[in-house]
Amino acid sequence: MKKNEIIKDNLYPWGGDFTTGNYQNNVALIALNINYIPHYDIAIYGKLKTENIGIEKIIANVISNPFIRFIIICGGDIRGHRSGTSLICLHKNGIDDNNRIIDAPGAIPYIENINKKAITRFQQQIEIIDLIDVVDEEVINESIKKLIDNKTESFGKPFIAIQMVKESKQSIDDTRALHSKIKINYLGKIEKRM
Amino acid sequence: MFSFTKKQEVLQIGNISIGGQPGRVPTVLIGGLFFSGKPDFSDAKEDINKMISISENTGNPAICDFFIKKTEYIDDILSFISSTIPEKQPFSIDVTDPNVKVSVLSKLDEIGLLNQTIYNSIHVGITEGELDALKQHCPNTAILVAFNPKDTSPDGKIEVLETGAHVTKQGLFSIAKECNIKNILVDTAALAPGQNSGGSIAALPVIKEEYGLPTGCAIHNVVEKSTWLNNFSDAKGIVDVASNINIPLYGGDFAIFGSVKHANKVFPIIAWQDILISEYVDQYFGVKPSETHPRRMFY
Repeated sequence: MKKNEIIKDNLYPWGGDFTTGNYQNNVALIALNINYIPHYDIAIYGKLKTENIGIEKIIANVISNPFIRFIIICGGDIRGHRSGTSLICLHKNGIDDNNRIIDAPGAIPYIENINKKAITRFQQQIEIIDLIDVVDEEVINESIKKLIDNKTESFGKPFIAIQMVKESKQSIDDTRALHSKIKINYLGKIEKRM
Repeated sequence: MFSFTKKQEVLQIGNISIGGQPGRVPTVLIGGLFFSGKPDFSDAKEDINKMISISENTGNPAICDFFIKKTEYIDDILSFISSTIPEKQPFSIDVTDPNVKVSVLSKLDEIGLLNQTIYNSIHVGITEGELDALKQHCPNTAILVAFNPKDTSPDGKIEVLETGAHVTKQGLFSIAKECNIKNILVDTAALAPGQNSGGSIAALPVIKEEYGLPTGCAIHNVVEKSTWLNNFSDAKGIVDVASNINIPLYGGDFAIFGSVKHANKVFPIIAWQDILISEYVDQYFGVKPSETHPRRMFY
C-alpha cells in the first residue's frame, strides 16, 4: 500500500466532536480543560471528557490513521473522570481481565468496545506527550512544532477498530412502538411487549 | 405523554413525593452547587432560598445536589448542609472520587444526616471500599446510574441494573439491596453527542414500564457537551434549560438540571410542561394532579 492510499472515509471511523486537518501530519492533540486551537495544521484535535467511551473513540480515530504518531494531552484534567490521566494509564499499562484500565484514576475507566489488539496497536503506534496541567499556549505550540519537525514515518496500514454501522431494525408489529421492549397505543398507553 | 401499565411507585422522601404515573405528582428538580473549584458559600444560601421560593411558587419540588470534589471540602459542605437544609428536606451529595465517597458517607453518619441523604450515585465504577462504606453507613435513598460502557441503548441500561453487564459482579439493583437502601431512583445516564445521547431519553419510558421506579436523568449535560452550540451563544443557555422538558415528556420523574442559579428558568418551563401533560393524562387516563401540582397552583 502506498502511503497516500488511505481511504479517507475510514480515516476517523467513530464520528464525534473533533476537528481534522492535514491527515498526513503526525500529531493529534487532546485539549482537556483548555480552550486551545492549534496553530499548526495537525491531523486531528478535540476534547476528551470521559474515561471510557471518550478514550475508546480516541483510540479508534487515531489508529485508523497511521500517519499519526504522537498525541499531545494538554490542559487541566477533567474533574472526576480524570480522562487525560486514564488515557496515559491505558497507554502505559493496558487493561486487566475485567477490561478496566490498569491503575486509572477515573471513576469508570472501562474499555468495552475496543479489543486488546487495537489497544496494543495504539500503544505501538503512538507516543503520548504528557502536557496535562499545561495551559501556556506557547509551550504547547512549541511541543507541536518539535514533533512535526521529527518527520516520522507512517506506521503502515490503517487499523479499523470499530466500524459504526446503522442499527438493524427490529421486526415489530406495532409502528407506534418507542422501543422493542414496550408498545404504545394511539392514546399514549404504554405496555410491556410480551 | 404517556400512561404506564406497570404500577408506578410514588416514593415519599422527606417532604418530597417523586415518581408515579405521568401527571400525578410534579417533576422533581435537582439543582447543583459547588461544581467549580473551592466551594463558595457566599451566594449559596441565597441561591438555595431563591430555588425554594420558586419551587413553592410552581409546586415542583426542589432538591439541592452538593458536589464534593475533595476530602478537605467535606466538613465545610456538610456543616453548611446541616445549618441550611431543613430536617424534612432531602438533599443529594454528588461525589466522583471513590475515596471521598467513603469519607463523606462516614461523616454523614456521624452527624446524623444519612436519613436526608440521596446518594448520587451508585454506578458500575463502584469500588469494594465504597460498597463496604455503603453497607456500614446506609443512606436513605440512592440514585442508580444505568451507564453501560458497552451498550448505551435502553437494553444496555437495563442490563447494568440487572446484572452489572459483566462490568461489576452484580447488578446495581442487587448492590442497592445488599446495602439496604430504602429508596431507589434510576438515572438513565445521559451521554455526549455521538454516544447515543438520545438513549437516556428513550430509556425513560422503558425503565418506568419495566420497574415502576422514579426515573430521570441529567439531560442538560448533553448540551454542555454540544460544543457546536458555542457558536450560538444566545441560544446555548436556552437549549440547556429547554432540554429538561424531554424528561417529563417521556414520562420521567426528575431532572438534574445543573446549577441552582438556573432555577429561575428551569422551574417555570418544567411547570409549564407538567401542566401540558396533566391536562392530557387527566382527560384520557383519569390521572388527577396532586395538591401541589403546577396545574393546581396556577389554575
